[in-house]
Amino acid sequence: MSASAAAAWFCSFLLFTAVTTDENTTSYNFNTTDYPELNFTYSFTDSSTTARPDSTTTTPSYSSTDDPLRPTVPGDPLPASGYLLTPVTDVSTLCPCDEHRDVCDINCCCDRQCSEQVALFTSCSVNTVSVNKQLCSRDVASYSLRIKIDGYSELQSSVKKETNSDIFCIHSQNRFDGLSHPSPALPTDSNFDSLFKQFTQFFFGSEVTGSQVSTTELRASSGYQYGDVMLTAGESGQRGMFWLPAAALTADCVDNSPAAFLKQQSSRCSRRVDLEQDCSTLPALSMDTYTDIQLLTVVPVLLVSVVLQSLDGTQTELQISGGETFSPALLNPDVCANVVLKVVYVMKYSPDGQIVDVMVSLVLGFVQNTALPLEQEFHITFIQDDGEDVSVYYSGNPGYVVGLPLVSGQKTADGIVRSVDPRGTLSLLHSSEDQDCLQGPHQRSPLLFGVDSVSGCTLRLEDAANCSVVSQVLLDVLRGPNYPQYVAAFGNSPLHNPLDWVSIKSSFSPGEGQSCNIPLSHHLEIEWTKYGSLVNPQAQVVSIKEVIQTNTSSLDLLTRGSSLLSIRSSVSFVPVSAAALPGFRAAPTIDAKLPFDFFFPFV
Amino acid sequence: MAFYEVYSHPALIRYKTSVCTKASLFLVAVLCLTYISPLLVAYRSQGFWLKRSTYEEQPVVRFQYESLLVAATSTQGDYVAWSTFPHLNNMLGANLRIPAVSVREEDQNQDGKLDRLIFQLQLPLKPEEQVYSVQLLLTFSYQLFRMSTVAMQSLAYVQHSSSVPGAKLLISGDLRLQQRTPLPHRGLYDIYNVSVIDGSSPFASAYELDNIIRSYQERNLTTVLSCPTPVWTVGRAAGSPFQLNAEIRYPMEVISYRPGFWETIKFAWIQYVSVLLIFLWVFERIQKFVFQNQVLTTVPIPVGKPHMS
Repeated sequence: MSASAAAAWFCSFLLFTAVTTDENTTSYNFNTTDYPELNFTYSFTDSSTTARPDSTTTTPSYSSTDDPLRPTVPGDPLPASGYLLTPVTDVSTLCPCDEHRDVCDINCCCDRQCSEQVALFTSCSVNTVSVNKQLCSRDVASYSLRIKIDGYSELQSSVKKETNSDIFCIHSQNRFDGLSHPSPALPTDSNFDSLFKQFTQFFFGSEVTGSQVSTTELRASSGYQYGDVMLTAGESGQRGMFWLPAAALTADCVDNSPAAFLKQQSSRCSRRVDLEQDCSTLPALSMDTYTDIQLLTVVPVLLVSVVLQSLDGTQTELQISGGETFSPALLNPDVCANVVLKVVYVMKYSPDGQIVDVMVSLVLGFVQNTALPLEQEFHITFIQDDGEDVSVYYSGNPGYVVGLPLVSGQKTADGIVRSVDPRGTLSLLHSSEDQDCLQGPHQRSPLLFGVDSVSGCTLRLEDAANCSVVSQVLLDVLRGPNYPQYVAAFGNSPLHNPLDWVSIKSSFSPGEGQSCNIPLSHHLEIEWTKYGSLVNPQAQVVSIKEVIQTNTSSLDLLTRGSSLLSIRSSVSFVPVSAAALPGFRAAPTIDAKLPFDFFFPFV
Repeated sequence: MAFYEVYSHPALIRYKTSVCTKASLFLVAVLCLTYISPLLVAYRSQGFWLKRSTYEEQPVVRFQYESLLVAATSTQGDYVAWSTFPHLNNMLGANLRIPAVSVREEDQNQDGKLDRLIFQLQLPLKPEEQVYSVQLLLTFSYQLFRMSTVAMQSLAYVQHSSSVPGAKLLISGDLRLQQRTPLPHRGLYDIYNVSVIDGSSPFASAYELDNIIRSYQERNLTTVLSCPTPVWTVGRAAGSPFQLNAEIRYPMEVISYRPGFWETIKFAWIQYVSVLLIFLWVFERIQKFVFQNQVLTTVPIPVGKPHMS
């Protein structure tokens, strides 16, 4: 019994392989019938398979009594479903190219309406119609055209019985599942949902339409959690979200993007405005949009500082006496005053997730038409309620983390002093658009641990006439303001421990020698090593060296005719720890000569 | 009368010696050389332990019906965008432009695995707008079953821009699998079965293309749309929509995996034994010569005296 079952299974396996390999053959293997409402029916010569439902499409007229193979349906089929028509198996009545009802289809030789037009045909679009090719004996209807002596065509059609010489041909077909699609369950009221789940995985509109706001609203009373949307209360009590403009798909500002609780966020985005129209009307330019907010549980936004930026970029802090607002105003068609350029929110939160205090600092500025699209900057930081107002940033704990700024400081009598401003560290000249070394203000970017960088500026030769002054100015530009003397060996080196701080060694002494030299490049070489365990190595700065190259010959020779001299400022991090090698973690004492992966799958 | 060999059989000669002799030492040395040196030879000639192998499989890919389209409509940087994510669409405001999209996935060889995605998109444009660049993101669900079961969600990203406004863009390419490290040989590998784009997020940063692509490219397993020749058709008539037609095939992939213990052992065993046979033959000859010619003194016991000790 089992042996025969296995044999049957083997046969079906063979047939399956035959099915898949036969697909590229040319002759027409009928799998469409002439009923337009049927898409696909595989039909067989065996009559017992004919009344099987094959699809869940229409045809409501069916009789449920005479079909032994009907799938058991638990409930009544849905009104639109039913059973299929009986597939037609007679090859002589099949015509797959007959697409127009009661009208002759051109070059469709099996179309019965074409008895008159057939004389005009040039070829047959379907030459043979046959049943399953794997049957040992099957009917094949063949159609061909013969050109008569008068030039017109004549149809020759015949139905022949063809035999298959393959030793694995099917003599009689009694295994229905082997060569047909399994019959799907008929949808009923009870199984519709499960069928829907089974067969539709993805479709348009399947995405979750998030109801996150409602869940946060519930949570707002009990305190926010990390990443929650913060809510605001309008004047009439309606709730809204706390928006912080950000860039989304493009660099343009997207206004209605919410800020997340406890997520530090800083974004720059550009805003395309038409100054004449938008200057006083666009809410995104007005400071009221950012200050006139009340966060839920009645926390008004407190305006802490307003800095006014002029057209040339100089900034002055305004005295805010309270109540006064600086709304944008069009000074002349080209210039709009008091436009919000930068917004910094500082939110204080309590340990139970409530927002206690919100402070905002603004940078307002004059914008002219040539500086459009306008760039706006938005920051939001969160500090703990009971903590200090300003937290000191560490750059690692203890070793430096790649990408965080180097910690630097000055030596005083009490020890090392460092700035709490994250920008007040060792920094590198940032190239600007005018490229001139002597024209400030210069942008500077902090030195990030592990990131080698280079930048520079240019010096015009005519400016370098007064050598000693230029040399000193250049040195100040390259080193930056408040050039520190010490760099912390670790990211969290304590200030009171001077041994943890590495002094910056410099080989340059400006007053040396008779001739005045102009610094051509400023290079910081920072050697660091890995310290501690192999699993969790900590980066430690070992030494830092300042290398300043000055000109040894006259500047005219260096520039080789052009009047511009490029001054370079660069930094490099040199790892001085020993490189890692593949090997056993501890050398085995038995035989250390064996290569490390000698026992690869075992060890 | 000529003689002929009517029968033959090998004769067994036993050579006996005590434990602490040169012959014993020789035997031990020969045994060591015979069995250990093939191991060294097989190892030193590289490839002894199979560490990476490949197999071929057509993945089960389904389009997830998530897409994101950004089209630049002027050279100044105006754009229109559309996505299947409601939060993003809300954020886009006036830049939202809803296209007409039609999608079809085909199983061409009837093997139960989809072979092709046909994605057609018609983007209506205002009279003053022209399309200069198109960025399109499509997400797919990607599954492999043969060795380790891999289920992941992946991405196809199309970007094309032109200085001349276009009427149509045809993208016809393959969705190829890219892997950095080999897959395990068994087990479930579904660490990437998470949304590539977090459609439930209301934050703009979740839809930043930088963030999406950067976090996606961090993965070991990614898919990439390899479309060497996108076709940009210029000459759009006024009032007609911009058409984007994408045909993305899901081809057979060659996937590399780390062979399991027994597969590694099997290949090592084949190499070891094939080298060992040579050594066995050589040292058999050497031993025969040494003992037959009494290079090392032993006591030979010929056949026919089986009972003498």
